[in-house]
Amino acid sequence: MPILTRIASLARTLFGRRRLDRDLDEELRAAVDTLADRYRTQGMTPGEAARAARLAMGGVEQVKEDVRAGRIGAGIESSLHDVRYAWRALWKAPAFAATAIITLALGIGANAAIYSVVHAMLLAPLPYRDADRLVFVWSDMTDAGYPRAPLSGPELKDLRERTTTCSGFGAIWSNTTALTGEGDPEQLRIGLVTAEFFQVLGAEPALGRTFRPEDAAPGARPTILLAWSVFQRRYAADPALVGRDILVNDRPATVIGVLPRAFRLLLPADSAVPDDLQAWQPFGADLERGPRGQQFLRVIGRMRPGVTVEQVRDDISALARRISREFSEYGAAGRIFNTVALHDDGVREIRSALLALFAGVGILLLIACVNVASLLMARAAARRNETALRLALGASRPRLVRQFLIEGIVLALLGGGAGLVTGYGLLRSLVAFRPDALSRIELSRFDLPVLAFTIATALLWGLLFSLAPLIEVCNVHLAPALQRQGRAAPGPIRYRTRAGLVVMQLALSTVLLVSAGLLVRGFLRIEQVDPGFRVDGVLTFRVAVPFQRYRPPAAFNSFSRELERALVAIPGVTAAGAISHLPYDDLPNWGGGYVSETAVDRTNAPNADYRTVTPGLFEALGVRLLEGRGLTEDDRDPGSPVVIVDERLAARMWPGRSPLGRHVIVDPGSDGVPAVKVTVVGVIRHLRLRSLVADLTEQIFFPERFVLRNPMAFVVRTNRDPASLAPDIRAAIARLDPKLPIYDVRPLDRYVASARATRRFTMLLAAAFAIVALLLACVGVYGVLSYAVARRRHEFGLRLALGAAPTRVVGDVMREGLALALVGCAAGLGIATGSSRLLDTQLYAIGPRDPATFVAGAAVLGAAAAIACWIPARRATTVSPMEALRTE
Amino acid sequence: MKGTLDLLVLKTLEPEPRHGVGVSDRIRQITNGTFVVRPGSLFPALHRLEQDGFIKGEWSETPEGRRARYYRITTAGQRQLSTEKKNWARIVLAIGQILEAE
Repeated sequence: MPILTRIASLARTLFGRRRLDRDLDEELRAAVDTLADRYRTQGMTPGEAARAARLAMGGVEQVKEDVRAGRIGAGIESSLHDVRYAWRALWKAPAFAATAIITLALGIGANAAIYSVVHAMLLAPLPYRDADRLVFVWSDMTDAGYPRAPLSGPELKDLRERTTTCSGFGAIWSNTTALTGEGDPEQLRIGLVTAEFFQVLGAEPALGRTFRPEDAAPGARPTILLAWSVFQRRYAADPALVGRDILVNDRPATVIGVLPRAFRLLLPADSAVPDDLQAWQPFGADLERGPRGQQFLRVIGRMRPGVTVEQVRDDISALARRISREFSEYGAAGRIFNTVALHDDGVREIRSALLALFAGVGILLLIACVNVASLLMARAAARRNETALRLALGASRPRLVRQFLIEGIVLALLGGGAGLVTGYGLLRSLVAFRPDALSRIELSRFDLPVLAFTIATALLWGLLFSLAPLIEVCNVHLAPALQRQGRAAPGPIRYRTRAGLVVMQLALSTVLLVSAGLLVRGFLRIEQVDPGFRVDGVLTFRVAVPFQRYRPPAAFNSFSRELERALVAIPGVTAAGAISHLPYDDLPNWGGGYVSETAVDRTNAPNADYRTVTPGLFEALGVRLLEGRGLTEDDRDPGSPVVIVDERLAARMWPGRSPLGRHVIVDPGSDGVPAVKVTVVGVIRHLRLRSLVADLTEQIFFPERFVLRNPMAFVVRTNRDPASLAPDIRAAIARLDPKLPIYDVRPLDRYVASARATRRFTMLLAAAFAIVALLLACVGVYGVLSYAVARRRHEFGLRLALGAAPTRVVGDVMREGLALALVGCAAGLGIATGSSRLLDTQLYAIGPRDPATFVAGAAVLGAAAAIACWIPARRATTVSPMEALRTE
Repeated sequence: MKGTLDLLVLKTLEPEPRHGVGVSDRIRQITNGTFVVRPGSLFPALHRLEQDGFIKGEWSETPEGRRARYYRITTAGQRQLSTEKKNWARIVLAIGQILEAE
């Protein structure tokens, strides 16, 4: 048969239905009339003839039904009919539809949002060419307290020349520099990179070019590559800028290119390379000749095609062993390199938290879908009479089953659509509240994979929960259902199914409650941590002093001293000081070895965290001195340098003895070997400067007058609102030097908050999901109990009529509901005992089986369930005896 | 037997267009009442054949002056009829052979 004819017929069935049916009506009527004519000519009266004709035709409606069923596309047509029917049915039950759709929107929306984050952070490749071939090389100094340390210049050279598995290596170190010249001076976060860095990374410029080897050659003209943000803001996105010179730190540098607006440098968060660098410059030619111990380079490599990460790791580890033997600087410990895939490394800390959240929203969706299934079952039970009637009128069971499925799917798709909207809103707020360490959340999009995931989720769940009411459909027995006219009298089986579903919901929400509770308690513990310094009432800012104008050390030091004095003179300021690294800032760590005077092997020194401070710093930070004295303006004689150490270093070097006046050999120049003898004049508490949750390595504080670091961060303690100090500070600095930019003006608690931000973020999300899950589970309990009460209306009415105390009736219903809650809660606590271990890495100072949290979780669930039970229980007592009897 | 009704309908319509009742009359008449096609089967069959493009229905007047839907066989229908005829002959032959086999 010609395919065109078929398509034309299909089109007629679907779109010309009304005409087809009119023709059919007329044709059949004509046939009946023709037969009647014939019977009349045979001598029947008109009435008899008409009846005989109708009889001969068989049921006209039946014939029509058969003709319609034989049409091409009749299945589609009747499915569309079912969709319309389902739509009308939902429209007629707005409370049911709204409850189901909102429930689904919450479940599906949370999943869509978290999935898009999971997709962007864990599944999607980094936005660079062949990003799966990028590796990151760490120097593993676990013994010294730095499991993930950078590399030195000579080591980069070794990697490049003495390994075979990578086609290239690039290195970066972040710093700051000042843009001077036209306009206000501005401090930039700049990345110093090797010439190959961008080729290795696989990033292309939007304008101009990236660096070439000649840019790093000796005597090359200084060059600079700009980020789009600076190009747009400071230079009005003028393409003619490329090729021109701008003043960087008062020296001309040629702008060679601009990176695209969307470019981000996505290195691991603890590599101290911010992802929003504003400009890049090449390292000088002497990079590879520095001391081996001066580790500051973050190194990426591009694997050759066909090489695995394991092979690169082996190759680079073997190199580390070779250079450990060859160079005495490494001492007995030697050097260990660890190589990891760049993408995996970047998400290493957040992966488990994200997967836990993803599992959490999965459970949330399950609870939501159970609610909808339960609602659909109740609805199917209420429609038993309708179903029975339709069966009696000849509807086939498969047809009814299909109709229920279609109703479920229509509901699921509506819920999915609402879920997409909810999810989009949720994702936008996730992006708005993202912690710095999760800045990649910004890359989350509602793109095709997310849409596909959401629609697939909605359809799958739609199919599953629309199967639930089929239990009802398949159990309809015609005669009893029709006889019982109008009184819903469902059997116990279906109630038990729904009760089972509720127990499951309660169990799952107990798991979520306990998990969220653990995260909340862990976070509260972190908030109570005493880092060793006082966080509130402090404003910080950074200033980079141009060495051209302030020749170190004399001019530099006197400027810093004057600034400190000017700051203290501001009304409301109680103390001020400066430090090289603020707690939890994003500057690269600085540290070096320390040994006692008598140590024979200075190459195998333990590592300490180094910081440079001014005399006022400890008072400004509120740090307690345990022994000895703080630093003074007189501690500036390079001939007899002094330091302050923390209690951990003191205990390790001189256990049980006073460290005051003792000497220690340190490495302030970061040459790799301790060589400078300093005298300990004071001991302070160990400060948690790099991690709130752990005491890391020992600490040594140098006077700024002895070891100069630039830029410095100033710390100003005040009894005013710290934020209100900013204008006064700017004015004070402008009086000293109007051309000096200050930047990163922010309260100290911002840094501390950012150290907690990731945990806070996960904790808040988990808590929000747990609360939503609890609400949904309560709706489930409420629904089932209301149903049970409605079913027993008659009984309650009778009992009340016979004088039963309302409290007894309430008690009965409450007992029924709370029994469900008890079983669900017990099951949930059981599951949580096993599953909470997965949260271990996210917890601090409490175990994954923290009894208090488990008890609290059970109590919250119990209280919520009691409220959900009480409402239907009270309704049971409002049954009027007369009404109950009358429905008999 | 499946497909038999289609064959009978097409054959009935081969000489001249008829309406539904006419088709059923004609079949009863030729087979001397052996085959009585009920409207419940006839109308779905007519519509199916029309949908497949083998016959075409048009509104026309009966000799008694009533409007009725007349079906006429199409070229595709003629071809289908001859195919079906051949098939039928083969089936009859095959069944005959089975019945006569000892």
